[in-house]
Amino acid sequence: MPDHITPYDTALHRDESAVSGMWLFLASEILLFGGLFLIVLVYSHTHAAGWNAGVRHTSLMIGSINTVVLLSSSAVFTLAVEAARTGDRRRIIHAGLGAAGLGMVFLMLKSWEWHLEFEEHLFPGTNFSISGPNDGGAQLFYSFYFISTALHGLHMLVGIGLILWICDRTRRQTGREISTIPVDIVGLYWSFVDLVWIVLFPVLYLIGRN
Amino acid sequence: MVRVLYCWILLMMLLAGELTMARLGFGSAVCACAVLMGLVIIFGFMRIAQAPPLAAIFALGGLFWLVILLSLGSLDSFTRTNFAVGSAMSSRPDHAPALPDESR
Amino acid sequence: MALTADRERSYLWQDGTVRSWLLTTDHKRIALLYMASITVFFILGGIGAALIRMQLVMPTGAILSDETYGRMFTMHGIVMVWLFLVPSIPVTLGNFLVPLMLGARDLAFPRLNLISWYLFVMAGLLVVYGLFRGGLETGWTFYTPLSTDYTQGRVLPVVAGVFLSGFSSIATGLNFIISIHQLRASGMTWYRLPLMLWALYATSVIFVLATPVLSITLVLLAFEHFFRVGVFDPTLGGDPLLFQHLFWFYSHPAVYIMILPGMGVVSEVVSTFCHKQVFGYRFVAWSSISIAAIGFLVWGHHMFVAGTSLYAAVVFSMLSFLVSVPSAIKVFNWLGTMHGGAIRLDAPMLYAMGFIGLFTVGGLTGLFLASLASDVHLTQTYFVVAHFHYIMVGGMVSAYFAGLHYWWPKITGRMYPEMWGRTAAALLFFGFNLTFFPQFLLGYEGMPRRYATYPAQFQVLNVLSSAGASILALAYILPLIYFAWSLLRGARATDNPWQATGLEWRTSSPPPTENFVHPPVVTHDAYDYAALDQANIAARQEVPHA
Repeated sequence: MPDHITPYDTALHRDESAVSGMWLFLASEILLFGGLFLIVLVYSHTHAAGWNAGVRHTSLMIGSINTVVLLSSSAVFTLAVEAARTGDRRRIIHAGLGAAGLGMVFLMLKSWEWHLEFEEHLFPGTNFSISGPNDGGAQLFYSFYFISTALHGLHMLVGIGLILWICDRTRRQTGREISTIPVDIVGLYWSFVDLVWIVLFPVLYLIGRN
Repeated sequence: MVRVLYCWILLMMLLAGELTMARLGFGSAVCACAVLMGLVIIFGFMRIAQAPPLAAIFALGGLFWLVILLSLGSLDSFTRTNFAVGSAMSSRPDHAPALPDESR
Repeated sequence: MALTADRERSYLWQDGTVRSWLLTTDHKRIALLYMASITVFFILGGIGAALIRMQLVMPTGAILSDETYGRMFTMHGIVMVWLFLVPSIPVTLGNFLVPLMLGARDLAFPRLNLISWYLFVMAGLLVVYGLFRGGLETGWTFYTPLSTDYTQGRVLPVVAGVFLSGFSSIATGLNFIISIHQLRASGMTWYRLPLMLWALYATSVIFVLATPVLSITLVLLAFEHFFRVGVFDPTLGGDPLLFQHLFWFYSHPAVYIMILPGMGVVSEVVSTFCHKQVFGYRFVAWSSISIAAIGFLVWGHHMFVAGTSLYAAVVFSMLSFLVSVPSAIKVFNWLGTMHGGAIRLDAPMLYAMGFIGLFTVGGLTGLFLASLASDVHLTQTYFVVAHFHYIMVGGMVSAYFAGLHYWWPKITGRMYPEMWGRTAAALLFFGFNLTFFPQFLLGYEGMPRRYATYPAQFQVLNVLSSAGASILALAYILPLIYFAWSLLRGARATDNPWQATGLEWRTSSPPPTENFVHPPVVTHDAYDYAALDQANIAARQEVPHA
């Protein structure tokens, strides 16, 4: 039994296990974000007025651009996954760098948005700028806004790191056959980060705006 | 390559639809668009149909437990009749420390 | 001569450097690393318990200030739950046994397994740091707004530690699930798996799907505490009960993390020491899965008096009754297995029988707490304390010791001293009941939990309880001593000292690094003693020809 595939019988067996394991990890991640969405579900109904006041203060323009950027980034990385299947080393690296670059653009826009919100005193606390009878609900919304975008941003940072790692190992592994599984798995993770954003985007920017 | 491009175009169209629906104020249509976008990603980018069957089982399992968390977790808040969620029963008492105690 | 050859090939001795232990990806060595770590934490949590019981000898409190007392039971709870009970059987015996029972060389992701141990150690260090730098007074449940707005204690390091230990749990659960799906030996069908693996599979499902909810809850708590923003803050209209819902969404299933692996061990031990197929194998297997699944639907019963909706309370109460069905199936099936069996009362079996009795008491008293009306009277009293200690200590710790004694020959290649093992098992059962049965009475009479002092009328029962705790402490210290002794002086163990059927008994004791010299092929159901006996007879007949 060759050592590099221990404890598996074949490389295919190992790859299947790795992909299944990644999906199981993503199932676990669903529940991680699930806890946040329970908060959305409860507060957006029991404090609808204040919550919607919070939604109206988010920057729809930046949010929409970011959605486009992130969806494109995921699409570009899927090209890298396909390139790994055909064994095209250069395209893996190009697509990977493209996806990571778009991810950085997302994060930069996001931090600009955060900056604007800090300027407007939308960070919950004593200086919170939305006042009136519904300010409690609006503060709850902004607590959720900052926690969820921070957590999502953290996942993006991890994802960008993983993509750069893929590019680096692809560059250094010339001469050997490309192992597609790491590319696949990072692709799954990167698309999952997209999925989370697709749920966050309507919750943070759209539902309750009108 | 072409498949990815199609998926991307589909996603952009759905996003445009989502934004329109939000403007018109149809909350449920916004949710529908978001769900469709998720499906495009799961089937188009993550290729769950080509993954080992275990992958689909795990994904469905995660979603199922999410439904349990959201439904049973919100059951209490939505049916509470004794005190409404966050009714102004409580205000911060005077003895509460206003700031974190940094001296420790 | 054969013995020395085996000894050098075994996982214990193949490479003895410290570095090879700390960087090992061998599941058996990682199991031992875990075993050493959780023993340290068990002792730490035990010291907390000892101080609590000393304090409660006197109605006015004997040794601790009220504040220190609060910090002490918090330390006891946090250390025991997250650093001992949750990891206990899965990461030690589970880590050691899952590949052996499957007939595999290692777990699916060996490096992840090692990472999970490092995460666990870091988690433990953070928690211990927080506790020694002042501790906290919130109890192990961290309820808001006490933990966010009012606490004077060290919330952040402790919460960060528990958060990290969660990732260690998730990694272990993920490893077990993928291993059981992917690494079964040839011929090892699902219904041939030992019941221990069904139990660990069910446990892993909870690890993977419930733990992330705890993680996010702790993130929210830390965020609220650190940045002073409202998430559960009632002054902003936030709902502290939402914290409790999220917390118990993890922590109730975690109760089943703390019992299901024990049930797996008991199934193995009962079958072996009765030399009999487990009665109703498929029912026992599926009852593990259904306990894990139903366990996710019952958490609201921790909050009946917290001000939750009556409708939710009724739903949660009914669902809570449901979970007793698969638990009862297990108990009846163990008894069915013992009925008519050739029972040998070795130490593991004594512990397992203790488990069955204590778990039954703990489970039945749980029904009192699942009923809305009686829960209002009993909740927040010592009745609850006694109830969950019967499950977690009477149940899980008994099962942990049962498993340790049962697999000790396989893990170390040495036998423990049988007479001392039986003594410790008897002491555990006796000491445990003396400690916790009086607490049922105390709770029924209305003594509330978590107070440093109590009315004088409760003193007799409290003194009895403290006396029991000292016997219990002896029952824990004894194995520590004779296990250490047996490492050096114990009799050499044979490959299958108990005449058990599992694949782990088909390899040498201790196993070689690669587990099996030849990849095993499974041709019989689990617990097929007839086949084992026939093979033994055949082997004996062959000896003269050899």
